[in-house]
Amino acid sequence: MLGLMLDAVVIISLVGLALQSLYAPSLFRSILHFVVFGLAMSLAWARLNTPDLALAEAAIGAGVTGALVLVAFRRLIAIQPDQDKPSTESRSRLALPIALGAGLLVAILGLATVNIETLPAAAGVAVLNNLSSTGLENPITAVLLSFRGIDTLLEITVLLAALLSAQAVTRPDALEKSIVTQNPDTPLIGGLLAIIIPLTVLVSIHLLKAGSESSGGAFQAGALLAAGGVILALTGRLSPSQQPSLRLNLGLLLGLLTFIVMGLLPLLNGQPLLALPEPWAIYLLESTMMISIALILLLLFTGSISLRHRRG
Amino acid sequence: MDSATLYVVAAAVLFGIGVDGLIVSRHLMRKLFALNIMSSAIFILLIATAAPIDDLPDPVPQALVLTGIVVAVSATAFGLALIVRLCQETGKTTLSVDDEPENDD
Repeated sequence: MLGLMLDAVVIISLVGLALQSLYAPSLFRSILHFVVFGLAMSLAWARLNTPDLALAEAAIGAGVTGALVLVAFRRLIAIQPDQDKPSTESRSRLALPIALGAGLLVAILGLATVNIETLPAAAGVAVLNNLSSTGLENPITAVLLSFRGIDTLLEITVLLAALLSAQAVTRPDALEKSIVTQNPDTPLIGGLLAIIIPLTVLVSIHLLKAGSESSGGAFQAGALLAAGGVILALTGRLSPSQQPSLRLNLGLLLGLLTFIVMGLLPLLNGQPLLALPEPWAIYLLESTMMISIALILLLLFTGSISLRHRRG
Repeated sequence: MDSATLYVVAAAVLFGIGVDGLIVSRHLMRKLFALNIMSSAIFILLIATAAPIDDLPDPVPQALVLTGIVVAVSATAFGLALIVRLCQETGKTTLSVDDEPENDD
């Protein structure tokens, strides 16, 4: 009963935050509500007994998306200062019926399939039965890397494609000075970084390692590491640069290239493609993917071709 | 009513809100939020309707949604870059199809 009430509270806040993020009078309020919506989603995942998703949503959905949206808002304001004016929306008369129909469709789909019996041949049952053959204890990591490695390979490719497309449409002259805090040399900032950055690295490595037996994994760890990078960019320790850097580009490609090589290696022994042999292969893969994911997300944030270290 | 059903209803409501927001909002960033809310609704639906195996949630839809979250962020990042560029080129953050002839009174 208490559980149901908690669920109800989470759901009511989700709906309220969604409404606010779409219809709040000012855009800035929309953005804030949208970021909090991501956090509420992460609570919903925790309530649905899926801690891996809760971690991913908190780090990627709320954290990285929030940073990206806020920096985009900053750039829009720099071009056109009156972003925040209340929108004069003209309501289409068709909007409400279409929305109701779409919601109803989802409801029918969901209510028809909720609470049906597990089929004995369900993929999830097969995963749990063969979990010991992968050497992993977390079934989700096993699905991501062992059973459906091709999905994860394509996932990191999508991430890279998004970065390349974003770089292609970003005009370099828009790259700013504006994301850096006003006084990057305040002593307190150095002290803050000295605590936060090692902590971020430590927690992301823990998340990466934890991914094999409990909740965690390369994507959560990479997002967290990227958050550390975002802090460094905001405090001016890393500044956007338009000079392509070989080291950084290698870092961006590291995860994908390792994945491809590791995926092709089993072919030499006559095994199928992407049959990852041992846990060490999975650890190597996850570590390189974490680095690439962190760099990709960081570059999506700064919007630049590469980064320059500034002695601060 | 159990909590899975509750979350299915929530997914339906959120999806409806997302569709409405996508049609009604004029600022492109809000449209992007609407798309994100719609995808969140579908993620909830996938997890809530997945039958548990031995009282644990099915790992396959979880992996599916995890991939989905990352792809949603990639798409959002690209969308934001497009919005910023559009604003640079035209000075506007709305699409011309949404710009009905307005009489500002």
